[in-house]
Amino acid sequence: MELKIRKHGEIYIIDVSGEMDLYNSFKLKELVMKMLEKKVDQFVINMENVDYIDSSGIGALIFICSTIKKMNLKLFISNVHGSVKKVIELTKLMGYFPMAATVEEALQKMGG
Amino acid sequence: MPEVKQLIVDENHPLFDKTGMFYKEFPSDFRQIRYFTLLIVQKAPPEIKEINLLEQQISEIIKNAVKHGNKNDPNKKVRVWYSFSTTHAHLIVQDEGEGFKDLEKWNEFNKLRMQYFYAKNFDELGKYVSYRTEKSDDHDGGNAMFAALEYWTEGVVFNNARNTIAVKKIFPQKRLGVTLVNP
Repeated sequence: MELKIRKHGEIYIIDVSGEMDLYNSFKLKELVMKMLEKKVDQFVINMENVDYIDSSGIGALIFICSTIKKMNLKLFISNVHGSVKKVIELTKLMGYFPMAATVEEALQKMGG
Repeated sequence: MPEVKQLIVDENHPLFDKTGMFYKEFPSDFRQIRYFTLLIVQKAPPEIKEINLLEQQISEIIKNAVKHGNKNDPNKKVRVWYSFSTTHAHLIVQDEGEGFKDLEKWNEFNKLRMQYFYAKNFDELGKYVSYRTEKSDDHDGGNAMFAALEYWTEGVVFNNARNTIAVKKIFPQKRLGVTLVNP
């Protein structure tokens, strides 16, 4: 799994690529926690290049999402597709996670 | 609310019939869980759609056996029986641990989760997205068995000692609606 950060105004986009599994999902959690320390308050997690996720990856997204919700900050998860979408559906979390079809849609929703 | 699926304890369940199944055993090495899973999944026919998802669902069950069952003790084995075809995936995984003691608590937790899900009460649902015990650590998603109950269409069944789990999925068949005409 690789994590890259880019910036759009005050919004930070984290591009995740590769597989989010039991060996590496904690890295995304750690990154978001560091960004929170640095007072980042608007996040997009772009899952466009993620084709595999397991319960640890889902767990990392739940942790991030609940932390950001509690702090009243903004988050969207974008471009969830394929088997990643299937796992989220099986876990009944489609309504729980703030989803956007694309990064652009996430930015738009964030601005509104 | 539709009936909520549950984890079952039934040693005599037909899913425990090992007839015709392949067998492999592994040491409880956390670093190799995905590798062991691949060794099993390679027996699955390539026609199976969403092989990624099948791999993931199998790795969760092996992970539970290695980590929660055998506590990553390399001297303890995980035994796996498996069979695949274009229409089904069937898996039995046994560990040497003390068994899933909290199974009834898990079922209760899951029932509440599904109630809030069907009520579309996402605030309350937020409290039930992750099942945790005092033994859970930061790497435990606490959500694997929620998906397992949905994925394994023929059931998720434990033996009486609760250290062996049997699961089976029937893959939906596409109806192409093609009529073959004899030459």
